[in-house]
Amino acid sequence: MVHRASTGVRSLAWLGGLFCAALPCPLRAQGGRVGYEAFTLPNGLRVVYSEDHSTPIVSVDLWYNAGSRNERAGRSGFAHLFEHMMFEGSAHVKKGEFFQLIQRAGGTLNGSTAEDRTTYYETVPSNRLNLALWLEADRMRSLAVTEENFHTQRETVKEERRLRVDNQPYSAAFLNGMTWPYDSTACFPYAHTVIGSMADLDAAQLGDVQAFFDAYYTPNNATLVVVGDFKPLELRRFVNQYFAGIASHAAPPPVTCDYKLSPGVVRREVQDAHANLPAVVRIYRVPPDADRDTPALELLKIILGQGESSRLNVTVVRRAKAALGAQVFMNPVESRRGPGTLVALAVANQGVGVEGLDTLVAAQLDSIRTGGVTPEELTKAKNTFRAGYIHTRETTLGRAEALHHYDMFHGSVAEINADLERYLAVTADDIRRVATRYLDPANAVVIVVRTVGQPDGRTGGP
Amino acid sequence: MVTALLLLSASPAVRLSALTAQDSFPSRPPKPTPLPPVRFPPFKETTLPNGLQLAVVEHHEQPVVSVALSFRAGAVYDPPGKEGLSELVAELLTKGSETRSADQIAATVEGVGGSLAASSDADFLTITADVLSDQVDLVFELLGDVTLHPSFPVGELELARTQALSALQVELSRPAAVAARFFAKEIYGDNPYGRSPTPESFKAVLRDDVVSFAAERLRPGGALLVVAGDVTEPQVRSLVDKAFPGWHGAPPAAPAPRPVPARTATDILLVHRPGSTQANIVLGNPTILPTDPLYYPARVATQVLGGGADSRLFLILREQKSWTYGAYANLRRYRGVGYWQASAEVRSDVTDSALTELLRQVDRVRTEAIPDSELASTKGFLVGSFPLTIETPSQVASQVANAKLLGLGDDYLRLYRERLAAVTAPQARAAAARLDLNPKAAAVSLDTAQFVPHSDSLRVLIQGNPVGGSLSTLRHTADSLVYSERSDLGPVFQQQTTVVLDPSDGSPRLLDQVTVQQGQKAETHLKYAEARVKGRIAVPQQDGTVRQFDIDTVLPPGTLDENTVPVVVPAFPLAPGKTFTVGFFSPSERVTKPLTFKVATPERVSVPAGVFQAYHIGVSGARVPLIIWVSVDTPRRVVKTEVVGQPFVVELVK
Repeated sequence: MVHRASTGVRSLAWLGGLFCAALPCPLRAQGGRVGYEAFTLPNGLRVVYSEDHSTPIVSVDLWYNAGSRNERAGRSGFAHLFEHMMFEGSAHVKKGEFFQLIQRAGGTLNGSTAEDRTTYYETVPSNRLNLALWLEADRMRSLAVTEENFHTQRETVKEERRLRVDNQPYSAAFLNGMTWPYDSTACFPYAHTVIGSMADLDAAQLGDVQAFFDAYYTPNNATLVVVGDFKPLELRRFVNQYFAGIASHAAPPPVTCDYKLSPGVVRREVQDAHANLPAVVRIYRVPPDADRDTPALELLKIILGQGESSRLNVTVVRRAKAALGAQVFMNPVESRRGPGTLVALAVANQGVGVEGLDTLVAAQLDSIRTGGVTPEELTKAKNTFRAGYIHTRETTLGRAEALHHYDMFHGSVAEINADLERYLAVTADDIRRVATRYLDPANAVVIVVRTVGQPDGRTGGP
Repeated sequence: MVTALLLLSASPAVRLSALTAQDSFPSRPPKPTPLPPVRFPPFKETTLPNGLQLAVVEHHEQPVVSVALSFRAGAVYDPPGKEGLSELVAELLTKGSETRSADQIAATVEGVGGSLAASSDADFLTITADVLSDQVDLVFELLGDVTLHPSFPVGELELARTQALSALQVELSRPAAVAARFFAKEIYGDNPYGRSPTPESFKAVLRDDVVSFAAERLRPGGALLVVAGDVTEPQVRSLVDKAFPGWHGAPPAAPAPRPVPARTATDILLVHRPGSTQANIVLGNPTILPTDPLYYPARVATQVLGGGADSRLFLILREQKSWTYGAYANLRRYRGVGYWQASAEVRSDVTDSALTELLRQVDRVRTEAIPDSELASTKGFLVGSFPLTIETPSQVASQVANAKLLGLGDDYLRLYRERLAAVTAPQARAAAARLDLNPKAAAVSLDTAQFVPHSDSLRVLIQGNPVGGSLSTLRHTADSLVYSERSDLGPVFQQQTTVVLDPSDGSPRLLDQVTVQQGQKAETHLKYAEARVKGRIAVPQQDGTVRQFDIDTVLPPGTLDENTVPVVVPAFPLAPGKTFTVGFFSPSERVTKPLTFKVATPERVSVPAGVFQAYHIGVSGARVPLIIWVSVDTPRRVVKTEVVGQPFVVELVK
């Protein structure tokens, strides 16, 4: 992210789709169904839009098909550093002016970088759609880079790393841990973190910025989604005027990742100087988002680790009183076209041994492989999924991200209104099958986070 | 590659095609297109016979319903030594009723994809539920059950306590949370807003405490239920009737508000956290009540200082200096006295520079007028972004709840944007100055022997020529001291002031003032009580109009009224070489200002009333610097006043 967002937080794991057919919903919105149109400019820029006139605002959401997986060894963290550079000025927009123009217009904005993509969005009052599009077009056609701005943003990103990772409990173990299932020789794209290492950030050069811009920030490598209160003809006019003159470039080089499931269990210990309580993180390899096993894995995730009634919460937190909390995530940063991670995280209660906690967590993960799930659990998972699906589509930005999700990770926007069927069709057997396949102990990376030294003054406080 | 070569020049590097193509790309940002009017979505509100306030926001776009039931039962009502009680009550509400176990409640609501939970913040305990609209009956049934029949099982209390103690350990490992705890304690002292739970306070909570807190505070009187989404108002009325049968109870007791501590200087508190790679800097102080109209100019000032990515702190500390990922300022409203803060996380080796810069920027916003373009930009964001905050029913509901819970008035949501748009640069600066309830001032203990009834006649000279006069009297009543002053400078300026003071310490009780300036009459009536000043202030403007201001704001202890300077300064413990800094509330500026009085060796002063041996007292911090001469002999009185650098003198005639 380029700055701390003032309006809410991007949900970590995107929750998939659902049809309205299963529930009595009003005609108007059909419970999360998203109507849309799409077109492509001659230069390859893909445009998807969805009208909604209920509030006079509009979200402009531009995704570039570039992320940390496109980085080369020695330049980890560069895609995110580049995201920061996109706010430093372009031919007609001075440094700082991007923020100023959008905020003065009453809008909000941010960027975010994940493994597979980098996004830029503005939500503005609907009469400033033209401004948001113009700003995005200006930096796509003419990024301005100076040595001074580059230096400033590199230092800013290093502070972001300190803020989010180096100065926090559990963060380093969690973020580094997610890269450990993948081998940096066979699959560098997913074997390093999005935030990158301090050494690699220091090594980045101004010339790298230009090369990255030329390779990835091209209209044929981007998709623009616009959702909200606008007239389609006007939108097409703005898009043509601002974006059509930008030339396409050669397609970027492909990304490769070789991996195999269940190469054997890996156990690592991490000493965390900031943590006051030990924790256990279990990470399992899972297939790309578009894989047919994803719906069953998503429901499995809910059953194991989402909500008060989840298996981990009922057994490890409530019955055994062993953990302060226990949750399960799928691809905590963002979905992937390559292989991903399913992560179970539990923080020990005071006085609870971390090995004992890991045994309890592992037993719950194993229980699905051996005993399957109950019909009640399956119903709960589908209903929870359905609710999440509708809630994420309540806002214009949420709908824009959902459209992008299917465009990027499924290769088809149309999936946005079709994906649900796969979730409703999931059976208890499917869940047991994916648990057996992916929650195999030989597929796990187990991280034990230990505290360092005595909790001296840190446990006091006013 | 040609493109690459062009780009190496480190100037705006236009893609080659854009230079050569038939390019209609505008070089200036496009102008706004017409904006349809933005209306706050309609909502229906009623107060039920049992005192419960109900607000319904109908919104049928998506099949979702969100419910929030708020009580005046936040952490400020925790008994001392049992901090965390409110938090535990909230946790336990959904952990068992007379007919359902915790597991049953969770499985029931989550089984339909919904959620039901309670949480507590500083002022309120809120039970929230989110559900798809086809399950709204079920969620109301559960909401009624957990509200009316919680069973607070002992085992659940012990589990909640274990969880709370561990959660506290995790909280104390996060630098921002540690900073926030120290900051709150430091600025609020013993005021309830300054307290945080500790392991000891969590351990001190008994089941009886939980039961009685719930019985005393979770009542329909004074509570607010907001239901938003795909429901109708009649439907909600019937759901409420069914879910809360026979529910009654008067509003819970409201303890008297506690004053917030005053400070004599900027305090810097260092908290050592071993192994930190950054320093978290938080600075600020307690501010105003939520209903104070000062909120609007203060909101603008805070936004200019650090509201976002185009605000001063961000642009300077991050974009110029690259010391931090972000530096921000915000204004937090509580039901009682809120606070403002500026904060940044900076790498450790620039901590001192960053702190110096933060203080400098705070000072700028308090002392310099905001340039027009910056003010326009800031108001553009504050006013223009409003529709972004009312996109979903739950966002609308939280706006409605905020306005009602903080008592912001029925017209708050309607007039919010208008009031922000009306803020001027001098108002924002004055607000920033007033927000700083941290003047380097200390209460002075007055020599009440100097409060001797008397009448003074004074004359006003400009460039040595008498232009008018003033009559003042000080008298005692049964329990007060009354100071009145009548000034007459001809048709230009006439003023009648009466101040009632506490004879034991000179603090003001009432102020009534009528001013006639250039024919315009303005009346000010203020009441000072319990560390607050309330009333109406009228200020004649340059353009001949009179502006009215309603005021209700908190004052640091020991604050005096600026109109009483001639009464209270002679009662200071005057002695050559002494300096006093005292907070004075200036009604005309609506600001509490620290005035500094520097006492020099007595000298002979000749005025029409005679020749006096008088202390020479230099006054700074007022609108203009002054010199006041106060006679040495008891009863002391002001014999002469001079405006430094201007030919304006007031002398005692008799």
